[in-house]
Amino acid sequence: MNINFFNLFSYNFFQNALIGGIIVAIVCGLMGLFLILKKEAMIGDGLSHTAFGGIAIGLLMGINPIITALATSILAVFTISYMRRKKIATSDSAVAIMLAIGFSTGLIIISIAGGFNIELFNYLFGSILTITLSDLLLVSALSTFVLLFIGFFRRELLSMIFDEEDSKLRGIPTNYLTIIFDILTAITIVLSIKIIGTILVIAILVIPGLCALKLNLSFKKTLLTTTLFSTISTTTGIIISAIFNIATAGIIVLVLVTFFIITLIYKKLE
Amino acid sequence: MKNMITQNSPILEVNGLNVNRNGAPVIEGATFTINRGDYVGIVGPNGGGKTTLLRVILNFLPYTQGFIKLFDTNLTNFSSWEKIAYISQQATNFEEQFPLTVRELVSLGCIKKGRLGRNFTSEDWKNVDNNIEFMGLSNVANRRIGQLSGGQKQRMFVAKALTHKPELIILDEPIVGVDSNAQEKFYKKLSDLNIKHQTTILIVTHDLASVFCRMSKILCINKNVELANITPNLDTTQLLKRAYGEHFHFVFHQHSCEGEFPHEH
Repeated sequence: MNINFFNLFSYNFFQNALIGGIIVAIVCGLMGLFLILKKEAMIGDGLSHTAFGGIAIGLLMGINPIITALATSILAVFTISYMRRKKIATSDSAVAIMLAIGFSTGLIIISIAGGFNIELFNYLFGSILTITLSDLLLVSALSTFVLLFIGFFRRELLSMIFDEEDSKLRGIPTNYLTIIFDILTAITIVLSIKIIGTILVIAILVIPGLCALKLNLSFKKTLLTTTLFSTISTTTGIIISAIFNIATAGIIVLVLVTFFIITLIYKKLE
Repeated sequence: MKNMITQNSPILEVNGLNVNRNGAPVIEGATFTINRGDYVGIVGPNGGGKTTLLRVILNFLPYTQGFIKLFDTNLTNFSSWEKIAYISQQATNFEEQFPLTVRELVSLGCIKKGRLGRNFTSEDWKNVDNNIEFMGLSNVANRRIGQLSGGQKQRMFVAKALTHKPELIILDEPIVGVDSNAQEKFYKKLSDLNIKHQTTILIVTHDLASVFCRMSKILCINKNVELANITPNLDTTQLLKRAYGEHFHFVFHQHSCEGEFPHEH
């Protein structure tokens, strides 16, 4: 198999990877932007590590790991929310606790079961190039759900993040909105694990939004720019890794960091 | 005749209100009535309970005794919150980097209960632009909110509040770190609103001169609450001494309302 840039697009695996990658990049970038504004970006890191525990459970029981990862992440996000609300722990400590519980659960299951180390490795560092059609369908369905929600309720979300009290007074059901947003966060994290892996999810979640925020744009343009950054980096990552057989996640993060440095320089020169 | 009735219809009634915070009384036996079209300055020493009283009225904090009626409805049953706009003490302390333009922020005031998740219509945007213009912010409408001056930020939040056409606006100490010129402009704008649209305004302020020049009533809060009509016969010295203590000294002359205001203290 001799893959180069010109015949790349005719391969089925590459088409699947590109479609899945772009969808997830858009979802991640947008949800990441809201998380940054909520000052809860690190929740992404916590959830991705809990999802790792869920993946191990799925592999052990022979269930699609995306589904078990989704279950553990949603459980984790509710627990973090609960601890914060009841003042049991601050947001960052609550995230730290859930991260540790999730990841150690994964470790225990690996050491007990053994045998699926390679598969697990794929989830740790991502394996977009091996995405199956059924995974792609699941990813698309979940992404559509997240995107529709953001599309309809972006103003309400923004209003709630900006001033929760005033939003309540305006009749925005902030409690329900928070619960749905938490579930969407968990979904987003699990989706991106397939592409970029547990360890580096936080990068694709945070860096596109961070770059866009540096540019001092309107909210509308900030949303568009975030999507642009995440899509370009993911596409570049997938193409380069397919041609040169380098880890996709590594390239994606490298491109993102380059964007970040460029925006910083642009800010300085402005 | 009909006009007379609406003029004097009570918008806010507070009777025998007691509020405790962490076991200590903060408000004791507050009884007063605010009518439609009143422009009320809320004054009193720091820690005297101004913010607490407002937050109890807005149902953010509980009270121990008494009753509160908003628009003729008991607070516990009140649900027409769209009639009320509240600009909190912290409103202007937002994250400088928040990615919103003035126009976008003001438009968030168009979000309505029962019509969530809908797109804004051209009518909504017209409403937004009218209020931006009314508050004198047209020239900065497309700027990021973090780039505004303190006075502009205040006017922006009022513009946002106006988009849902409130009948009662409650502002908690909105002018901190704003120069006196901008402050005077802001009070003038609120006067316009009060006179032109009959909007009832409650505003916490430390600017006593502005209260006596522009407003129709003064609400003094220092655990006890006392409401007074601002008339030429009002004994301001005694009133303020009851709120701020015997050592408080404030001399007010009606003629100082013309043009420049003297610096207080």
